[in-house]
Amino acid sequence: MGGVTRFRWVELLGPVLIVVVLAYGLALSSASGRFLAQGTLATLVMVLALQIFIGTTGVLSFGHSAFALIGGFTTGLLTMPTKIKGNVMSDLWAPLQEAHTSPFVSIPIAVLLGALVSGLLGIFLMRLSGLAAGIATFAVLMVADNIFFNSRTIGPGPQVMPQVPHFALFDANVVLAVLALVVAYLVGVSRVGRLLKASREDHLAAQALGANIKRLRMTAFAISGGVAALAGSMYAHHAGAVSARDFYLEFTFTTLAMAVIGGTRSVWGAVVGTLAVTTLGQIMLKLESGVHLGTYVVSVPSGVRGMVIAAALVLILLWRPTGLTRGRELALPGRRADRSRQLAQRT
Amino acid sequence: MIQVLLDALSTGGLYGLAALGIGLVFGVMRLVNFAHGELIALGAFLLITTRHWGLVPSLVITLVAVAALAVLLEFGVFRRLRGAEPAVLLVASFGVSVLLQKVYEAIFGTLPISGQVASWMSGQWTVAGVNVTRGSVATVALTIVLLAAMKYAVERTSLGLQLQAASSELLTARLLGVRANRIITVAFAAGGLLAAVVAFVLVAQRGQAEPLFGVNITILALVGTVIGGLGNLQGAALGGMLVGSSLSILNAVLGNLRVYSASVLFVMVILVLLFRPDGLLRSRASGERV
Repeated sequence: MGGVTRFRWVELLGPVLIVVVLAYGLALSSASGRFLAQGTLATLVMVLALQIFIGTTGVLSFGHSAFALIGGFTTGLLTMPTKIKGNVMSDLWAPLQEAHTSPFVSIPIAVLLGALVSGLLGIFLMRLSGLAAGIATFAVLMVADNIFFNSRTIGPGPQVMPQVPHFALFDANVVLAVLALVVAYLVGVSRVGRLLKASREDHLAAQALGANIKRLRMTAFAISGGVAALAGSMYAHHAGAVSARDFYLEFTFTTLAMAVIGGTRSVWGAVVGTLAVTTLGQIMLKLESGVHLGTYVVSVPSGVRGMVIAAALVLILLWRPTGLTRGRELALPGRRADRSRQLAQRT
Repeated sequence: MIQVLLDALSTGGLYGLAALGIGLVFGVMRLVNFAHGELIALGAFLLITTRHWGLVPSLVITLVAVAALAVLLEFGVFRRLRGAEPAVLLVASFGVSVLLQKVYEAIFGTLPISGQVASWMSGQWTVAGVNVTRGSVATVALTIVLLAAMKYAVERTSLGLQLQAASSELLTARLLGVRANRIITVAFAAGGLLAAVVAFVLVAQRGQAEPLFGVNITILALVGTVIGGLGNLQGAALGGMLVGSSLSILNAVLGNLRVYSASVLFVMVILVLLFRPDGLLRSRASGERV
């Protein structure tokens, strides 16, 4: 994508460095830390997918979980052992039954398929904005769930698709997440991203500048659909199994909450939101299993975790509707003042 | 055949009531309230836990409590988000909805609790050699009465007229002396009352309640509100009815492919949104407020 403006190494390398350090720090600490890091990286990629579309265009989408579902099912069907596939899913469409490949091939296929489906849907859906877009993308999620939950020709139906192989190397998760970070940041500073951000602030003014907003939004929708499919496949390889209901309302809610809590308008917001909600969830999980404070054991009833995350989302919206980062990218301490002064001089 | 039509009518009526509850709030503050389902769920829990106290006390408690929760949501959350974009409101109501689900889980557990409420609604009547379930007849009757009452209240009472005025053009209504916060509170309370009624009909049919009790009907009713026409109370009710009866008819017509009726329905919803983004019943003041 040409016309890259406002590219700043700090804004890209900062989040990348933080994600890489945290991921390896967690992975090297223990086996459970490694598992948590894997899951969090997959979630981060999903939140980035939402950021790419919702953040840059300002149009709400509940439909990205459907693309994650497509990604997860694609890579799952292509990489699980053929023999088990025959046993578990006997009604599967024959070509899918025989197909088998490594994650190196299946993940690119999953990403392309996600981008293709979202691109095709985008041709129709991107005429809508605001509330109509929210409801229409929600309808997409409902259709995807309904089809995948019931059809045994293209998946396990209501059952779980088991035995999806784990990545041989932990590094694969980190590499893919960094890739998603780079893509999300480049979309944001590209010509497409900048024009979309302009249309987010003022639709008419952006059109007056000659921006074909419908086409720009289609581009962003297709890219983010591909990234969502990547997230879905990372999730499938992380969990070692995948089912249609993994990507339904709860998944949609959690990832959307992360994006909103961090601030949808920046890549840094996606990172902060994912880390904040995951950390909060882990703390609640620890509390649920009981914490020793001297002679006392403090524990909270199970189920409080979901309550706290939902409450956090509502409180953040009340307190800071633009999220924890207020939609800003990462800046070195002390640099922000310089930049606002520059901006003031420019205008 | 008669039963199919009656089912379509009663499902349609029920969804119409739910959609009207959502439409009332949507009209005055452009909020698509996902948490409406949790109002319905609260109604269901209360009806089942208080079923031994007699029908009337149980109903009164439920109506009051659900309306109170609706007003509480308005004061605690939505009033503080006045002027936010519809998308932010949508996400906030999504959050409130999940929060309430988790609260119900903590209080009542995730498993359904059962109890027969209004047992006279189950069972059948035979009219001229045709079997019809009592529940569907009662639902149709209840819907007609309530919709007529709502129509009267909206068109003939002062509060109702203010509500209608605020729905079609909040700013102008305020300039003409309609107190916005008061009318929004009224809309939430009325929406809550309708949610309680929907809960009653659903509980009588299903005989159980669980934290996710209201999710499905809310999703469909919400869609009905949007395709019926934004900022139009009649449109909301009609849209809900349309969605409910389409679903009922699709279930009857599709036979073995019944499981995919939701897909057909939601594809139709997308088509309506694409070709009539302002809803089937277009009202002039239906654009989103900036």
